[in-house]
Amino acid sequence: MMPLLAQAAEFGGLELGHYLMTSAVLFVLGLVGFLTRRNMIVMFLCTELMFQAAAIAMIAFGRFHHDLSGQVFVIFILTVAAAEAALALGLVVLLYRRKETLSAEAWSELREA
Amino acid sequence: MDLKLLYTASVISIIGAVALWRLIRPGGLSWRIPAAVLALAAFVGLLANVGLALAGESRRPEAFFTIFSVIAIASGVRMITHHKPVYSALYFVLVVLSSAALFLLLEAEFMAFALVIVYAGAILITYMFVLMLAQQTGDPGQESGAAEYDVNPREPTAAAVVGFIMLALLSSMIYDGVADLPVPSSAQEARVATWRALDAMPARQREIIARVAPDAQTVFDEQGRMLRLRDGRASIEVIPSGSNQRREIELGDEYMPSNVELVGLDLIAKFPVSLELAGVILLMAMYGAVILARRQIELGEDEVREAAGLPRASFEALDIEGAGPSGGSGPSGASGGATS
Repeated sequence: MMPLLAQAAEFGGLELGHYLMTSAVLFVLGLVGFLTRRNMIVMFLCTELMFQAAAIAMIAFGRFHHDLSGQVFVIFILTVAAAEAALALGLVVLLYRRKETLSAEAWSELREA
Repeated sequence: MDLKLLYTASVISIIGAVALWRLIRPGGLSWRIPAAVLALAAFVGLLANVGLALAGESRRPEAFFTIFSVIAIASGVRMITHHKPVYSALYFVLVVLSSAALFLLLEAEFMAFALVIVYAGAILITYMFVLMLAQQTGDPGQESGAAEYDVNPREPTAAAVVGFIMLALLSSMIYDGVADLPVPSSAQEARVATWRALDAMPARQREIIARVAPDAQTVFDEQGRMLRLRDGRASIEVIPSGSNQRREIELGDEYMPSNVELVGLDLIAKFPVSLELAGVILLMAMYGAVILARRQIELGEDEVREAAGLPRASFEALDIEGAGPSGGSGPSGASGGATS
């Protein structure tokens, strides 16, 4: 097994900036998708995209500082994403059974005023 | 920090936002292809601008990084613009796979494979299951067979503006912040730290000794550590059996702790409480999912008929029942009192 952490391909601020920019663009895509899509399941998928962007930023920072805490944190992100997927999808199935539609606007009566 | 770079970044973000706005709204291919090219150009421009801001020159990013980040972002765009949710989920699988490749480039092998197994293999399959369960019959008016709420976005202009503001903010933070970060430890120090992690792994130490010096006695130093580290190289000191001459054996890089071992050690040694909490979260999610899935929704006769496309059966009866006495008690009761 090759220990890649110590192999030191060049990874300075510039490389970190590139990864952070990718992560930022992915996060913004997730945000825009969450705002524009009207299908409840796709809205949840867009939150997963934002999780993904955060994970890339964490691991890039961990690589920059030679610190493994970034990777450990991504394990917790995965945990939360899995728990969220299980609960959210269970709720979506319940909602779908009531109204026979996945449109988020079908439930706009739940908001105030 | 050069203000010119910030302006460039804002202009590029605006171009990207306009392209994204065009992609979100339904439209023909003649609109989509130029918009997609524009969005791609905006992303590459943002990357080049990072190079200008942080290195003072437009250094090209690494080839594999460019390939995988472009795949990730292109499929992310397709994911939020595709009209069929199943395709959206499949494009998200592509995002996950390409970001796993980015994790490999970042030397996080364990997380890369965990991502593929847990995200692409488990979470996304759950999404696909639910999408199939909640299959929509397409609108007859749409030739693509997609539902109306999937075709027409909600507030695309406002969302594109919000996205532009967010991206401009994040990129200006990257330009300003990354240059001010403390200088990371050198590769040499990282090597030493990686070797030092072996001190906390006694079983691994015994394994190394059994492989390197099976019939010799290993000398531990006064702190009980096996490794001697010099200039980032590691060696162990042994006394071969039948002699009392100490001998040093240098360890090759193949004995260095791997990424999986290091992450595992970090997880257990630094974050034990978080690990327990993660277990509790997963348990609660499992309880919640079981309870939600077991709940039966009592569909009344009206809902059943409504789902079948029939008019409500009890609507009129309910109306008569509700309106009859209450409607009668108001004015007719008052007029009844006046006549008597």
